Amino acid sequence: MKRSIGITINGEVYEETVDQRLLLVDFIREVAGLTGTHVGCSVEGRCGACTVVLNGKAVKACLLLAVQADGASVLTIEGLAKDDALHPIQDGFWEKHGLQCGFCTPGLLMTLYEFLQNPKHSDEEIRTAMSGVICRCTGYVHIVEAVKHAIAAVEALSPEERKEWFPV
Amino acid sequence: MATANAWVGQSIKRKEDRRLLVGDGQYLPDIVLPRMVVMGFVRSMYAHAKITSIETTQAAALPGVRAVLTGADVKHLGSVLSDMSTPNLPGETNRPIFWPLSIDEVKYVGDPLAVVVARDKYTLEDAIELVDVEYEPLDIVIDPEHALQADAPRLYPDWGDNVLYHQHIPAGDADAAFAQADLVIKERFRCHRTGGQPMETRGCLATYNPGEGLTLWLTTQRPHIKRHLLAEYLNLPHSQVRVIMPKDMGGAFGTKAPLYREELMACHLAMKLRRPVKWIENRQESLMNVGQGRDQIHELELAVKKDGTILGLRDRILADCGDARTAIYVGFAMPFLGAMYLINGYDIPNVDIDLTCVVTNKACLTPSRAFGSFAGRFALDRAVEMAARALEIDPVEIRLKNAIKTFPHVSAVGVHVDSGDFPGSFAKACAALDYDNFRQEQSEAWQNGRYLGVGFSMGVEISGVPSEVLVPMERQPGFGVATVQFDAHGKVQVAEGDSPHGQGHETTIAQVVAGELGLSPEDIYVTYGDTHSGPFAAGTIGSRGASYTLSAAVLAARALRPKMANIAAHLLHIEAGEDNFVFRDGYAILTRDESQRVPIAKIAEVALLSPTELPPGMEAGLEHTSHFEAETAGMHSCNVHAAQVEVSPDTGEYKILRYVAVDDAGQPINPMVVRGQIHGGVAMGIGNACMEEFIYDENGQQLTTTLLDYHIPSSLDLPHIETIEHNVPSPHTPLGSKGKGEGTPGMVPAAVANAIEDALQPLGVKITDLPLTPERIWKLIQAAQSKE
Repeated sequence: MKRSIGITINGEVYEETVDQRLLLVDFIREVAGLTGTHVGCSVEGRCGACTVVLNGKAVKACLLLAVQADGASVLTIEGLAKDDALHPIQDGFWEKHGLQCGFCTPGLLMTLYEFLQNPKHSDEEIRTAMSGVICRCTGYVHIVEAVKHAIAAVEALSPEERKEWFPV
Repeated sequence: MATANAWVGQSIKRKEDRRLLVGDGQYLPDIVLPRMVVMGFVRSMYAHAKITSIETTQAAALPGVRAVLTGADVKHLGSVLSDMSTPNLPGETNRPIFWPLSIDEVKYVGDPLAVVVARDKYTLEDAIELVDVEYEPLDIVIDPEHALQADAPRLYPDWGDNVLYHQHIPAGDADAAFAQADLVIKERFRCHRTGGQPMETRGCLATYNPGEGLTLWLTTQRPHIKRHLLAEYLNLPHSQVRVIMPKDMGGAFGTKAPLYREELMACHLAMKLRRPVKWIENRQESLMNVGQGRDQIHELELAVKKDGTILGLRDRILADCGDARTAIYVGFAMPFLGAMYLINGYDIPNVDIDLTCVVTNKACLTPSRAFGSFAGRFALDRAVEMAARALEIDPVEIRLKNAIKTFPHVSAVGVHVDSGDFPGSFAKACAALDYDNFRQEQSEAWQNGRYLGVGFSMGVEISGVPSEVLVPMERQPGFGVATVQFDAHGKVQVAEGDSPHGQGHETTIAQVVAGELGLSPEDIYVTYGDTHSGPFAAGTIGSRGASYTLSAAVLAARALRPKMANIAAHLLHIEAGEDNFVFRDGYAILTRDESQRVPIAKIAEVALLSPTELPPGMEAGLEHTSHFEAETAGMHSCNVHAAQVEVSPDTGEYKILRYVAVDDAGQPINPMVVRGQIHGGVAMGIGNACMEEFIYDENGQQLTTTLLDYHIPSSLDLPHIETIEHNVPSPHTPLGSKGKGEGTPGMVPAAVANAIEDALQPLGVKITDLPLTPERIWKLIQAAQSKE
């Protein structure tokens, strides 16, 4: 069974006719060709590598069907930077060595994108915010530092700049 | 000439991160070829069974299905293991005969018995469901001690028993040592099945044409090794096999080092169907098949004098290797190396180690970070703790008394340890934990009903594996190799034969080559992964990066300097030897007159674009390949870890309050990257030791085939991990660097277990088994209390 849907990803509209059972993550990776979003656990929803921001909320794209996202606006890792300027969360990860193999990174960045719009500051709160994404490489120590770096950067933004970096 | 390497020791941001942070990484699943089809497996639902029939017609008839094959269709390929793909170790070895798909009989849950090829993965899943397999269940053997019994079911009837490998490792006179002992600690330690599990599962993409042959994109740590084994198995000329690890790979931790049946199947199908065949393992398959490591029983005895001196050790090790059906390691290379590294940082002169590796109806053991030494390290460091407690000696004191004191050191069983400083490392760990005052704090806490404890472990971790060890163990070289090649614009390509996937080679190798050549890391680009464009090497295994591979890059860069100096002298119209130039800030600078300088980019341009300007008779080009082999039979990093915990006696729950890792990176190239390696190693160690376990039930069903069941730690499960440098530069590498990453998890189980037991001293709990789940701790507390 196929259905025609339209999903806006990183500001670009994708109007496609897809199988109803097509997962959102496969729509993003295979239909839109945005391979920055990763699949780590085959539809268990545990690893979090496929996390994207859908209508402003971080969601696991392997737990949604593409048809459920019909009409939605999705932000993926490819949509974070503006030309050559990195988003504060990307910058934090780079400065503090918040990634090694990079496989879970898209999930963490998109999860933290939502978190940073209303960040909490204690280590425990930061760790709680990112606990839905598993990283096997870093032991999370540098990721916590990366998030703190990003929080400081976001708090220094003007309201206009903030709007620019957090459009959804 | 020797100048200090300006980029060594600098925590610069990683070069690889820019692409990874914006979604531009290229991982295996991201690669798509025209006409590509996808492959998936029908896997056994039984731990041990005869296959009585496989009905494939329905699956084959499904629109979109391109092929369905069973074991009978691949029998002509022959058995997977050859001499080249089996460890060549001293001791008695049995070798299983098997094919890419199992024929007639399955031996574990997840055993591949048929393969389906389809146009897309959704059709593939449907088709796999339609393959109907009839089984006749056979008796199973799940427990390794059961496997040794005379009446146990046999996995390989032609062997006569279930013993895959046996090796006796005696040294000194253990009997005499035990005769002289004031105290003998005799204990049985059990380490469960746990291990790697990277976030990216296995995968491959094979394509074939008769002109060029086979190209295989593969998630692998060892493209060159896979290439020559694939050529042998598929009966293709070596020139017709190309293996490429994609630019990026989502971790491996040892699990992507073996040669697997699935990748052989993809190659065969690509050749048969003449279409690109892609396979992406799903997480369930991954948890059924790979990352299962450790799994050993140690019957360990320590002979100790009253003053704490360890005179001797006996250990009967039983390793459960599962079905033993992967190539290169065959399930027993890890326990072998673990046995050789058992005594580790301790100087124990008399040992008697007996290692038996058995097969069972479980997945084959795969290498997992700390390669074989996780279980033994737990057992020995626990036994030492027990001796300390029995003799009322401080746990730090007993370790210092028995730690390797002088370097270089050759262990009783022949492991060469080049450099380290245990007293210095312990001092830093103790200072960080304020250990001098801790005992007071602990006894006050006990009086207030709180249970605090500290535990230590120490370790000698491999810093690469030399050819002297790797050739007999895996029939592969240990040297590091790199080609350093100027391009015509003065930028430098460094081609390595390993395949890094998170370790940061693109940054650290760029740093050292930049430093050697007077350039900036921005000027250096590191390439890897493709057997057709990089030098032959063993792969990214065993902390080889900063020890072997990076050293080869340093030597290759240094080898270019005389030619660069000659060109510079020629361009400056001066007679000069190489020693008269330094390379700095992008220039070759005449030492006696620093105003005389030539841009290095100009030297490269002359060597490549305008060779007419070269000195007469000089060959064009500016590149060199170096093979680095350390002049020692073993390079190591010596480390001390300490955990501080608080345990709740009512529930067995515990919190790791502090975890302090004092690590020796020799000369760190990029300290931030080193810290990241240690954090990750400790995290995996805590996961493996405390919460992860592959569980098989009495029917051999694997109960942990999702990440909800196999619990890899989240950010909430781990403490902040503190890292402290205590570096002793390696005397055997050009920059003094040591490899970091592999061994770290092995430090963790004893440190945490010792801390928990220490906290529970008033309750008299004794920890011998892993994992350290609250349930296990609670049961130990209950048992201890009912004894009272």
